[in-house]
Order: sequence, then C-alpha cells, then structure tokens
Amino acid sequence: MSDHAPIFHAETLTKRFGALRAVDDVTMEIDRGEIYGLVGPSGSGKTTLIRMLCGLAVPTAGTATLLGSSMPSERRAVEHRFGYMPQERAIYRDLSVAENLLFFGQIYGMSRSRIAERTRALLDLMKLSDRGKQRTDKLSGGEKQRLSLACALLHEPEALLLDEPTIGLDPALRREFWDHFHQLNSDGRTILLSTHYLNEAEWCDRVGLMQLGRLIAEGTPDELKDDATRRSGQDSPDMEEVFLILTRDAVVGGVS
Amino acid sequence: MKLHRIGAVAERVLRQNWHDKRVLVFMLLLPAIAMLLFGYSFSGDITDVRVAFIDEDLTDLTESILENLQDDEAFNVTVLESVDDPERLLLDEHYQAVLRIPDKFTSLYYAHFAMGVATSAQGTLDLTLDESDPQVAATVRMGLADALMDLGEGGPVDIETRELYGVEVRFIDSFAPAIMGFVVALISTVLTLLSVVREKVDGTFSRVWVSPVRRAEFILGYVIAFGLIALVQSLVVLTIGKTVFDIVINGSIFWAFGCTILFAVGSVGLGTLLSALAQTESQAIIFFPLVILPSVLLSGMMWPVQAIPRLLRPLTYAVPLTYSNRLLRAVMVKGLSPWQEPVGFIGVLVFVVATIALASVVLKQSAGERE
Repeated sequence: MSDHAPIFHAETLTKRFGALRAVDDVTMEIDRGEIYGLVGPSGSGKTTLIRMLCGLAVPTAGTATLLGSSMPSERRAVEHRFGYMPQERAIYRDLSVAENLLFFGQIYGMSRSRIAERTRALLDLMKLSDRGKQRTDKLSGGEKQRLSLACALLHEPEALLLDEPTIGLDPALRREFWDHFHQLNSDGRTILLSTHYLNEAEWCDRVGLMQLGRLIAEGTPDELKDDATRRSGQDSPDMEEVFLILTRDAVVGGVS
Repeated sequence: MKLHRIGAVAERVLRQNWHDKRVLVFMLLLPAIAMLLFGYSFSGDITDVRVAFIDEDLTDLTESILENLQDDEAFNVTVLESVDDPERLLLDEHYQAVLRIPDKFTSLYYAHFAMGVATSAQGTLDLTLDESDPQVAATVRMGLADALMDLGEGGPVDIETRELYGVEVRFIDSFAPAIMGFVVALISTVLTLLSVVREKVDGTFSRVWVSPVRRAEFILGYVIAFGLIALVQSLVVLTIGKTVFDIVINGSIFWAFGCTILFAVGSVGLGTLLSALAQTESQAIIFFPLVILPSVLLSGMMWPVQAIPRLLRPLTYAVPLTYSNRLLRAVMVKGLSPWQEPVGFIGVLVFVVATIALASVVLKQSAGERE
C-alpha cells in the first residue's frame, strides 16, 4: 500500500433501501492527513456513506475502500487502523467512564497498563479526569459526546470516521471539539466527519455537499465559495448561502 | 478467535449486571423467591389435619397406632376420653377426622390372625371423615393406612413397597430441578435479550462490529457471563432447597451444575435470537410472557406432562424447559448420568446448538451486514 493511495475511497458507491437511494453513485477520494467534512441535511446519506466506508453497511453497487482494503469484505485487514464514532453516542450507559474505555481497549487487544495510560491521557484531553468512576448515564450530553470521541481515539487509529461528532453541543464545546480534530490532524491522522452545522464546513480542508444521497459539490471551502459566487453573483457568501446556492442549482435525480 | 476478546465481552456483561443493583438483586432474589414461594405453596405435603382420637380399647396395639399417627406431620392429633356423636365433633369442633377404636378391637384383631381369613369377627376401626376437601380426606386415609401398616408383623395386609429413586421423593425434591432450570432460563434469556437490544439502540453494537470482535467471540462472551450467573443462581436454589426444604439430591451436584449451565447457554442463544425481532427495549419486553408462560404451563414444571390435555401435549415438546426438567430431574432426583435420560439430554443439546447457530445468523443481520 503506497502512501499516495487515498485513505478513504468511494467509487460509484450506491446503497438502496427498497426504492430509496440512500447513497446514489458517490465517487470521492480522501487523502492522508485531510479533514474532510460531509455536509448536508438529515437524510442526505451522510451516515450511510460513512457506514459503508467502515464496513457496517454493504454497498448495493460500487466499491468502498478504506486504507486500501475493500469494505466490508477485507475489513479484517484494517480493523485495528481506523476509529469510528457512531451518531448515537454508543457508550454503555451502565458502565463507568473508565470501564467503557477499558472494554473498547480490551477488544482492540490493548494491555491493561496501556489502556490505563491512554485513559488518563484521553480523560485529561476531554476534561473528564474527575469523571472516571462515574456511570455514563449520570453524565451530561456534552460529557457523553466527549467520552464517545475518546472511545474512538483510544487505540490510536490513523483514520477516523466521525458521524455527527458535534451534534447537540453548545458552540463553545463545538470549538473545543474542532481544536481536538485539528490536533489529531496535525499528528497525521485523516478525519472523515459529517455535520449539519454549515459553519463547521469552514474548518475542514475539504467539504463534500450531500443532498438526497448524491455528492452535489466538493472542494475546499474557498473553492465552494468561489463556485457559489460564480453561479449567483453574490459576493463573499457564508457557508449557509453557499449551501443554498449549490443545492438549488444541483440537478437532483434518483429518488423515484 | 481470541480469548482476550471473549474475556473482554464477558467481563463487560458481568460488570454491567454488577452495576445495576436492581438487576443484581433480581438475579439473586428470583431464584430464592421462586424456590421459597413455589416450595411452600406447592410442596404438596398437607400438614396439621385435625384428628380426634378416641381409644376405648387401651392396649399396646392401640397405643402404637396413636404413636404412629402422632409421628405423622400430616396430623395434629387430639386424644379424647370418649365420644357420643362423632359428627358433632366435625361440625362443632372443626375436626377433620374422628377415629374411634372400639372396645375389644385388639383381641378381635389378633383372633382374626390366629384363626385365619375365614373369620368374620375382625377388628374394625370407626372413622368419621370430613370429605369436603378430597385432598385432606385422602391424606387421612393414606396416613391411617400407613399407621396401620407400620404395626409390623402380623398386619392384615403385607405390602412390600420398592421405592425407586430415593427413599421418598416428595414434590419439592422434583420441583427444585425445575425451579433451577426455570430461573436460569428466564434470567439468561431476558437479560441477554435486553442487553443485545440495548446495544442496538445505543449504537454500541456498531462500535463493537467495526472492532476486531467476531460474532462467535461476542456470543461466547455472553455465554460465559451468563454461565457464571447461572452457576450462582443454581447455588442459591440448591442452598435454599437443602436448608429450608431439606431436599433430597440423589445424583451428582457436578452434573446438576453442568446441565444447568448447558441450559443457560441455550437460553443466551434464545435471547440473542429474540433480539432480532425487537428494535426497542419496550418491544423486547413483549417477549417476556412468551418466554415465561409456556415454560410454567407446558414444561411439566408444576404438574406432570401427563396431566396436560392430550391435544396440547405435542406443544410441550416445543418448550425447552420440558427437556431441561427431564434432564435435571434425572440427574438430581434419580441420580442418573445425563445420557441415561436421552430425550432430555438430546433435547437440551439441540436447543443449545440450534439457538446459538441461529443467534449467529441473527447477529450478522443486526449488524447490517445483510446484502
């Protein structure tokens, strides 16, 4: 596997649920070291796309490749190398914070001492150090979200798939999350995340706009803004306006 | 397949149950309560039937009849001097039986034996019996027959009884194995079902599924956790059975635990299987009666399968607890090895293999790997 191979790769990737095309003919590549943001309203196919890329959903057509392995058939080859944060917070509510991390560390084959070490570091990073023994159903929403992210980071994966990691967080906490993302990114980790907060798109290296299962636009935030300006004549639109302009102009098909 | 991952899942499930004190209490109290409640209410041993005893003969023989009756826990014997109207004792004094031994009973009794069967003048007891409760009346008849039979040599009828499988198997002795199977099956099925559905609802399932954990490791983790829980529950049932009800265990404790754990494995499989049919925890709860009712009614737990109407009897073979009951009773009451009760043993084995295999398929679909 060469270093130039994309970390995430979708090729004419399609997922149908009955008549619904949840993901419709998406082709995209994400290179090592990028933060790529999937932006779009609920139901636009972001979650299904991420689930196919980490092997949880089987494509109806096309291919999903993660770290050079075809998903889900070859996922065993890369299962140690990526971390996934599902949209649900996905932590055990009847376990303590530390026990959640212990379990997720154990199933990745980490030693107890290594888990303890990583737990200390992550709880510190997530400002949960005094919460280690707390049962997670006693945590606030933001704390649960931070623990959920910590669970995905525990085994130090090189690729991260984060499904709506900042949903429901207050603006200050969202900024903090983004600081974490940039820190992880500067360590050389590749991040694919989804969000429906359009201002967050500004903070990504590249953005993919999704609507009704299709990837309708893709590029750096500046490229997307230029594109929107070209189409609408509007000067320096913000991300929200960019989204409205680009989705309005998109040729939407597929859903029958 | 990696042991550390199986261990991780088992440890996690045990920790979860340990933390939820309500579940923990439920897990340990249920076997205790079930054993005590069923044990006391269905023990089948009628005790303290009020019997008035009037001895007009007063010999060694009648004395021993009285002693035998007094030794029987079924009776609360009151000795009266004389009686004019036994029926009044039943009506006014609420005795359930009045036994009068007439004068000369003893001499007639012995004379009868001395002279052979031909004589008509044999000793006769005068028994007035309240028949309003047939079970109580039957107890009196049986108890009296026992008391007379125990008189020893020279008794009127010489019945030689061979008691198979233990000196005297009472209802409670054969009930304990059923309680063990029932409690273990109930807890393992219900808690596995809830736990797996909760993993789906909370999304932890997805996280586990993208991790190196294999389906077989996941199931084995649950199996080990609930196997251990089943062991503790069996201990509770047996301890209460032994200390409170003094149950007779003729077989090996080793087999009893082994078979119970085997049954728990199948129940974990069943719980996983049912989890496929529920998307939320409240949907999962709908399945509880489905698990409990057939087990209680059709498994031969409370009454023998032979007491179930013929039309329904084939259904008993669809209830896993039926096989567990046969197996555990054979092992604990009859003291057999599991394979000496092939129907029960093979039934439980088939239950285990089938549910675990299907559970594996179900998990694959729940994980969204379905094409």
